[in-house]
Amino acid sequence: MSTNLLVAKDLGLHLSNRWLFRKLSFSVPGSSFVAITGPSGVGKTSLMRLLSGDLKGNEGNLESNLSTDEKISMIFQDLQLANGASTLANALGGCLGRHSSVRTLLGFPKQEKDSALNWLSQFGLAQKTRQWASTLSRGERQRLAICRSLISRPKLLLADEPVASLDNQWADETLSILKTNQLQTGGSLVCSLHDEEQVQKHADFVLRLHADEPESWSWENVAA
Amino acid sequence: MNKQHLPWHSRFDLLGITFLLFLAASIGAIPSIEGSGRDLDYLGNLSRFVAQFFPPDWSILDRTLSGLLETVQIALVSTLLAIVLSFLISLGASQNVAPPWVLWPTRMLLNLIRTIPSLLWALLAVVIVGSNSLAGVIALTLYSVGYLAKFFSETFESTDLSSQKALTSMGAGPIQAFQYGLWPNARPIIWSHCLWMLEYNVRSASIIGYVGAGGIGLHLKLYAESADSWNKFSLVLLCILVIVTLLDFAGEKIRKSIRDKLDGTVD
Repeated sequence: MSTNLLVAKDLGLHLSNRWLFRKLSFSVPGSSFVAITGPSGVGKTSLMRLLSGDLKGNEGNLESNLSTDEKISMIFQDLQLANGASTLANALGGCLGRHSSVRTLLGFPKQEKDSALNWLSQFGLAQKTRQWASTLSRGERQRLAICRSLISRPKLLLADEPVASLDNQWADETLSILKTNQLQTGGSLVCSLHDEEQVQKHADFVLRLHADEPESWSWENVAA
Repeated sequence: MNKQHLPWHSRFDLLGITFLLFLAASIGAIPSIEGSGRDLDYLGNLSRFVAQFFPPDWSILDRTLSGLLETVQIALVSTLLAIVLSFLISLGASQNVAPPWVLWPTRMLLNLIRTIPSLLWALLAVVIVGSNSLAGVIALTLYSVGYLAKFFSETFESTDLSSQKALTSMGAGPIQAFQYGLWPNARPIIWSHCLWMLEYNVRSASIIGYVGAGGIGLHLKLYAESADSWNKFSLVLLCILVIVTLLDFAGEKIRKSIRDKLDGTVD
């Protein structure tokens, strides 16, 4: 395995008058798929937000070995799409960080559009590129949010229940694409999942959080 | 089933108290409304006056339509100018876009603009640029900015900001996050406000001619001032009614289609 992208040491997070987790130590190795599991409300989303830098932990520390050029991108559980924008424009939102405001004021570079169309086609949205995001089904919207994150070319992709609204076939295919893409580009994927079968099939490591027991998390190498 | 005993005053929330105050103030104001004190046959006067409206005089249709066209043109140009100005000003009046030192002066300016009614703006414009349709455009542009900029800024403040935040987290700059995250969510509501303003401006443009600011209002003034032209006056009113109804109908259709598209009920 290559260098660890993130190293968490004795992390603790206290929210809404309770500890979600404490003394949490693990690392996210490069070119790996880390799954986070646990019942609803256990703190998976909060942990994701903490890893993305959106939240600060109450104890411990989180060390990042990502360079300033290497990005973290997140697939949000509530998708966070622009409903009044087309599917293509939403997907292209992922490439904004690579271009100046002036360059994207009147549109996107052709190669970015081609790349976005390619991703949309892989996720079965090629026929819906001009439709408003609000008119897509929940599953289609979820696939669109995934496309947007992939287009941002992150070194570390954090995916908060990215396949929750997808049928088994799409869920399996999506996790395969996410893993293949991240591994090919030398990046890693941290993904919260509910389905143990998906964890066993795709993940290299799994972090299991337990309800009401903030210190009883476990870390397991499932690829071994 | 447990019957809850709530104190009698618990039903008077802010809404209830406001309604009661409104009711009390309105009823209290009735004694101060006075007529002329003379014994007039109100209904008889009304029926004699309305009878003069019929039948409308169709011989002036061409002249009326050309006045109406000028009215619609004034409304279109002023609405377009107001949209452009309001968009820029509304950014300064939105809490989630502008810093406080820009926010409060901008809001004060908008309050000031809204204080002045459209007819007064028209009078001011006529004094400055003379009696023509340009005065109408200036008056309605300024009047519309007061409302549109407020509507736009409220839309920006109430729009779902999550997609803007998502794009920022992926590396987008503030202008990019606004353009591709917030604006697409706000745009349908903004267009809806613009349509409403256009409808409103057609109505307003019909009356500002009364003070010389162009459009069909001048015709209304001429016919109202010559005692035997109420049948001509009624034709002008009829034409305004038709155009306003058509705009209202089209506006509602477009607004519904936007709402449906945003709710995801159509493909």
